[in-house]
Amino acid sequence: MKVKIKGWNTVAVWKWLANDDKCGICRAPFDGCCSDCKVPGDDCPLVWGVCSHCFHMHCIMKWLAAQQNQICPMCRQDWQLKSE
Amino acid sequence: MYELMTMASMMEDSPNAAKRPNFSAISNSNSNGISKTNSVLMVKSGVAKKLVIKNFREKPKLPEDYHAETWKKLKEAVVAIQSSTPISYCLEELYQAVENMCSYQKASQLYENLREVIEQHVKETVEPYIRGVQDRKIFLKEMEACWQAHCRQMIMIRSIFLYLDRRYVLQTPSIPSIWDMGLELFRKHVIGQQLAQTRTVDGLLMLIESERQGDVVDRLLLKSLLRMLSDLQIYQDVFEHRFLQATDALYTAEGRRLMQELDVPEYLAHVDKRLQEENERVLHYLDGGTRWALIHTVERQLISEHLGSLLAKGLENLLDNNRIQDLSLMYNLFSRVKNGLVELCTHFNSYIKKKGRTIVIDPEKDKSMVQDLLDFKDKMDNIVLTCFQKSEKFVNSVKEAFEHFINQRPNKPAELIAKFVDSKLRMGNKEATEEELERLLDKIMVIFRFIHGKDVFEAFYKKDLAKRLLVGKSASVDAEKSMLSKLKQECGGAFTSKLEGMFKDMELSRDINVAFKQYVANLRTDFDSAIDLTVNILTMGYWPTYPLVEVNLPKEMVQYQEIFNKFYLGKHSGRKLQWQPTLGQCMLKAIFDNGKKELQVSLFQALVLLLFNESEDLSYDDIKTATNIEEGELKRTLQSLACGKARVLMKEPKGKDVTEEDKFKYNLEFTNKLFRVKINQIQMKETNEEQKATEERVFQDRQYQIDAAIVRIMKMRKTLSHQLLVSELYNQLKFPVTPVDLKKRIESLIDRDYMARDKENPKQYNYVA
Repeated sequence: MKVKIKGWNTVAVWKWLANDDKCGICRAPFDGCCSDCKVPGDDCPLVWGVCSHCFHMHCIMKWLAAQQNQICPMCRQDWQLKSE
Repeated sequence: MYELMTMASMMEDSPNAAKRPNFSAISNSNSNGISKTNSVLMVKSGVAKKLVIKNFREKPKLPEDYHAETWKKLKEAVVAIQSSTPISYCLEELYQAVENMCSYQKASQLYENLREVIEQHVKETVEPYIRGVQDRKIFLKEMEACWQAHCRQMIMIRSIFLYLDRRYVLQTPSIPSIWDMGLELFRKHVIGQQLAQTRTVDGLLMLIESERQGDVVDRLLLKSLLRMLSDLQIYQDVFEHRFLQATDALYTAEGRRLMQELDVPEYLAHVDKRLQEENERVLHYLDGGTRWALIHTVERQLISEHLGSLLAKGLENLLDNNRIQDLSLMYNLFSRVKNGLVELCTHFNSYIKKKGRTIVIDPEKDKSMVQDLLDFKDKMDNIVLTCFQKSEKFVNSVKEAFEHFINQRPNKPAELIAKFVDSKLRMGNKEATEEELERLLDKIMVIFRFIHGKDVFEAFYKKDLAKRLLVGKSASVDAEKSMLSKLKQECGGAFTSKLEGMFKDMELSRDINVAFKQYVANLRTDFDSAIDLTVNILTMGYWPTYPLVEVNLPKEMVQYQEIFNKFYLGKHSGRKLQWQPTLGQCMLKAIFDNGKKELQVSLFQALVLLLFNESEDLSYDDIKTATNIEEGELKRTLQSLACGKARVLMKEPKGKDVTEEDKFKYNLEFTNKLFRVKINQIQMKETNEEQKATEERVFQDRQYQIDAAIVRIMKMRKTLSHQLLVSELYNQLKFPVTPVDLKKRIESLIDRDYMARDKENPKQYNYVA
């Protein structure tokens, strides 16, 4: 061994594991945040439904609060959080 | 008895005596002060006890020739005074005589007689004497002597005839006092004569003129004669007007002549001197009332008339050479005349615009542009502060001019300012202490404030900031934060939110890395955990976009990456990580014949060096397939390793550039006096392309902003004419745009059905919901 790595300083960019570019409710990109937030990240997380659709958590909460039936706005199936 | 008392009191204190008759008139009583006390007593006691003063039963008679005799005596005395011979009577006796004459109702006649005697003297002795003097200079002296003599005589005469003055003249409004009579007679018979008057005034003017030429003249003589004119109340009529005319003519000529002969600073100094001289003239001998007109004349002829040419000829030179004193003088002088400062300010403004433009516009001076701007601003500020009395008008003018010229060249100044800040905030900039750096940043912010396209600045600043943060080259976190808060203050939170996000990411990454180290320590694997891995996790959108590059990492590194991935996703579910090899850096332990070294290298450099663990010789193609680094990047990397300062690889054949036929070998004989060697990555020079790319991104962003603004306005107004729309847009948009750009965006929005042209009026737009 002539050369050996001692330290490594590197950079990674995080992204949401979403199946779409934009949130179906607020139409803002997932890389950004919902219309009420300013900072993407843990303060404005994404949630996935069992139906596999994905929204800003704030957006879907607002949507569900405004609806009688708890259904996904994209596919009209019952909305249930996908457990990890 | 009554008369005796009055007389006595008059002799004691004459000012009271003048009032006494008045008092008795008001109180309407023929008594003196006693009766007043009495009346008070009366009211108090209520006992009526009158004190009555009765006149003499019979007036004492005077001898028949008393009047004639007395007048003769008095006349003799007057003549004696006029001819400067001793008076043969006692002055008190004369005074008594005057008093007696007045008491016996001879006052008016006495006055007439006196007037006659004085008139005769003035007319027949003084005037001919004056007329007889030929020489001009001696004439003035003689005139002054006559005047002084006349005054002295009149004072003496008035003293003797004081009783007449007080008793008779004061109560008779139609006749002048003895003193005024003396003045009147002198005016009428001496100075009133055309010849004497002209000679006096000419003489005075000549004296003043010669003083203005620099000669020493008898100022006392001037003062005395001018006082004479004032006292005779002919100063304004016979002298002032002609004096001002002469002044005007003199300075008109002088102004024209000196404007040709002298350069501006000399001229200004001369004007200053002249103004001082004229002021002194007023102080020393001219009548105070002349000051305004005189100074005004000088100012008009020497300054106002030449305002334009003074500024055109001299201002630029003075400013160029930073002639603080001359500029102060110029400001002071110009502030005296109407429009002087306005003109000065206008010229100052256009000077800044002209000079500033030369700093900004020339691409060859780009390197020093920001420093030049800072220096220039300092210089102008200093001039405004010390020379122009920090006048608000000038301060604003400087601002306006800077804003004007700095935006003459679009985008480039903004970019260079960003670069300049970067160079100051980067590590290794040891030229300044923290306070100095802080002050410098403040100054830069002042310049930055003038820039219209602040988004260009942001784009470049962001790129440089990212580099500083990720490569750990930032000199001081405090300085970075301070710069950020300055930007926030200047442009608002929206402007800096992304930059703040970058700092936040850095902080979060630090925490994550600490947690990760613990995580790794707790991992019980057979895996040789020798690599100290630090990962900066970036949030998309805050940072500049970096190109996605795929490279082949050695197994060990991939493993590490996976461990981190697992660790990170365990903490933050629903995310994925995208690795950015371009920004990676490694610390390598390398063994050479001369001993161990630590090499600080980029990830790419490390990847290449690691290959030589397996084999001795590698060709360019071998390395390329093994690492999968993009061609240009690989060439630069190899060049830095084999052709740079620290050559840890050997290249065959030797040469400065790397070609695809080259072969490489690990350089076992590598030596360096340092233990830790940093191998600089050969920086791709910030090529025009890269700059263009950044600019392009800025323009792209601007288009979205324009679109958004148009839709916002149209949504609010529903219908709007083209002109109104454009003017509203100019109000809303904070960066420079051309009408052509706006038109294009409007067209595009019409195409996309956000708005439509009005069917009847093509110059009007309707919002389409």
